[in-house]
Amino acid sequence: MRVGLPRMHRETGEKRDFLPSFVASLDAAEAEEIVLEHGYGAQMGVPATDYGASSSKARFGSFQDCLAQDVVLQIRCLPEQFFGELRPGAVLMSMMHYQTRPERVRKLAQLGVRAVSLDGLVDDYGRRLIENLAAVGWNGVEAAFMELARSYPNFDDPARPPIRATVLGSGAVGAHAVHAASRYGDARLRDDMAAGGMMGVEVRVVDYDLTCHEDYMRSLLRSTDLLIDATQRPDPTRHVVSNDWLSEMPGHAVLLDLSVDPYDFSVDPPIVKGIEGMPQGTLDKFVFHPHDAAYEELDRPIATQHRRVALSCYSWPGRNPRDCMKVYGAQLEPILRVVLTKPVDEWDIDADSLYERALARAEIKRWLKSATA
Amino acid sequence: MVEIGNGIDGSVSGAKAGVTLGLPCMGQEPEERRDFLPSLARRVGNLGLDVFVETGLGAAMGYSDSDYFNASDRVRVVERSEAFAQDVVLVLRSPDDRFELMKPGATLVSMLHFPTRVQRYRRLKELGIEGVALDLIGDDSGRRLVENMEAVAWNGLEATFGALAQTYGGFKTHDREPIRVTIMGAGMVGKHAIEAATKYGSLERARVLSGYPGVEVTVLGRNLTSDGGYLRRRLGVTDVLVDSAYRSDSSRPLIPNEWIVDMPEHAVVCDLSVDPYLLDADPPTVRGIEGIPQGTLEQYVFWPHDPNWRATIPHAIPDTNRRTSVSCYSWPGIHPRACMHKYEEQLLPCLERLLAAGGAASLKVDGGYLERALYRASMGAWSALL
Repeated sequence: MRVGLPRMHRETGEKRDFLPSFVASLDAAEAEEIVLEHGYGAQMGVPATDYGASSSKARFGSFQDCLAQDVVLQIRCLPEQFFGELRPGAVLMSMMHYQTRPERVRKLAQLGVRAVSLDGLVDDYGRRLIENLAAVGWNGVEAAFMELARSYPNFDDPARPPIRATVLGSGAVGAHAVHAASRYGDARLRDDMAAGGMMGVEVRVVDYDLTCHEDYMRSLLRSTDLLIDATQRPDPTRHVVSNDWLSEMPGHAVLLDLSVDPYDFSVDPPIVKGIEGMPQGTLDKFVFHPHDAAYEELDRPIATQHRRVALSCYSWPGRNPRDCMKVYGAQLEPILRVVLTKPVDEWDIDADSLYERALARAEIKRWLKSATA
Repeated sequence: MVEIGNGIDGSVSGAKAGVTLGLPCMGQEPEERRDFLPSLARRVGNLGLDVFVETGLGAAMGYSDSDYFNASDRVRVVERSEAFAQDVVLVLRSPDDRFELMKPGATLVSMLHFPTRVQRYRRLKELGIEGVALDLIGDDSGRRLVENMEAVAWNGLEATFGALAQTYGGFKTHDREPIRVTIMGAGMVGKHAIEAATKYGSLERARVLSGYPGVEVTVLGRNLTSDGGYLRRRLGVTDVLVDSAYRSDSSRPLIPNEWIVDMPEHAVVCDLSVDPYLLDADPPTVRGIEGIPQGTLEQYVFWPHDPNWRATIPHAIPDTNRRTSVSCYSWPGIHPRACMHKYEEQLLPCLERLLAAGGAASLKVDGGYLERALYRASMGAWSALL
């Protein structure tokens, strides 16, 4: 099997490419040839020679050349306009987010691309095999506390009460967010604050059986300095916190969006964010102050009247690209052997192999079958 | 020589010819029912390797010798000594009294906890046994590959909310406030405890109580648990107190017994950290919440007037102030089949890599993903540190 590693061509802040150690893993997993797009790794400061040294099977080629291979691997999914350049039957491995990207799924299936959603690779207990949720939690919370340190009137005052963070959602992202928030998103800052005698961070976590109680939520928001959306909503067409409720929050409060649900008005009903009125951020711009033009660019049905400093990023792990790709590369390593040595049609959902079962579940054709069953 | 079989990693891969696996019974206290399942014996047999199962394995979970024997024609049911006499021996909890049954050069795969069990490490070394600590198998980021922290948290919280349903008169009333859970510690166990607490420790119970006001969880890190004034106020509004803290100083409790009096009478204390009382050690170790008993798989709920309350608490430790407490040295063991199924799923890819290498002595620090993880858990990697 020949593998293509195209660059992502997203915002300038998106620097992530797989590291040379991952190319060596592809070689060890019996890839016939590894085609890297010209300039691969350059934005992270990795010289082209490092890739060449990692495998004799590696060569550089064009973007189109990469897309023409048997297996195409990229962390964020290719823009849909390039799907047609993939070969029918090719395996495309990316963070697909099938559930909230219905149009993406439809097009891939129509073209006969054997997509594998990296975010859908889970073990028998639902634990993701390819994830950097710790980086989602920590990078987002770190950035949020940097803003809160500016907006909170007495952040460095030993007489202030504990900072109060509220996390919506208690799943894997929420758990990392709690861990990070209890440490100000930055272990050094935590140590400095403790040494200065400042009280720490009280983190409250609420799940769907409380977020639906308006009176309770309004009361909770009144005493919330940092509100974190880490929900995984069964129905992404409904907000968890309406914009009107935000009026209860202190003026210095900060909002943090850790979910990756985008706005999508191309479907009916539209897909919306968990906190109503949050702009969608990128690696280039992820902090939005109340007068930011981004609010005006949101579609009309979204209420944005009540605003606080808001942080949102499509890809929080991308803020530390090398660390992020080291994690993803290592997690993908044991899966590659199945992908590169066993035809996709033979992946068995009941196989002895944990990795083969996970791949079979995350493959688009089988996923569609189970989703419609 | 390498025998070709269907690899657990899904590809065609090699299992080193002639390498054998022994699966002895755990042989711990009577209420410890866990053993590796027939499915693990079958899957290793499918690799083309012989598996030697001790007679009686899995009996406490309802399995018979024939369940193992029939799993694969590579499985043999043998006496204990023969199960221990194989190239690789797999037992969940360390068989400290049976190391001598193993042959020099063999590999023991078990929860060996090298950092806190130096004597165990030395004994294995003396006997020439290679060890791989299941609790230390971690990926390049330090994430444990074989762990059941989820079961620690969920089983503990399930028992806790079961107790709270009895102590808290308003538990099943629609006009009550949200149940308030305070969790000390946001590490590995604490993370799972957060989710478990928001679901009353059980998805089934959460479904039944879906129309009631839910659970508000408050998590406290070290810089709040060290503030006595704050913590006592917090205890006053806490229905469930969970200790999942990793203390930097285990010679002092986070919650002295006198503070327990601040908690509502109906409150329940949930111990997930399972630190022991070791007053003779230097420095001594005390429990995070002072004056609570240490439970077992046989008894893990202690009501305030329980006759066994003091049985595990040293004389010098005060316990005057009591709230219903749940504690167990092995929370995953509450549901043994589910626990062993989970360990099996996590362990199999690692086990295949170990068997392919022929044992721990051949593991390389710069091998593949799984080999690196195994190497880090081996005695070879720890020899420099201990």
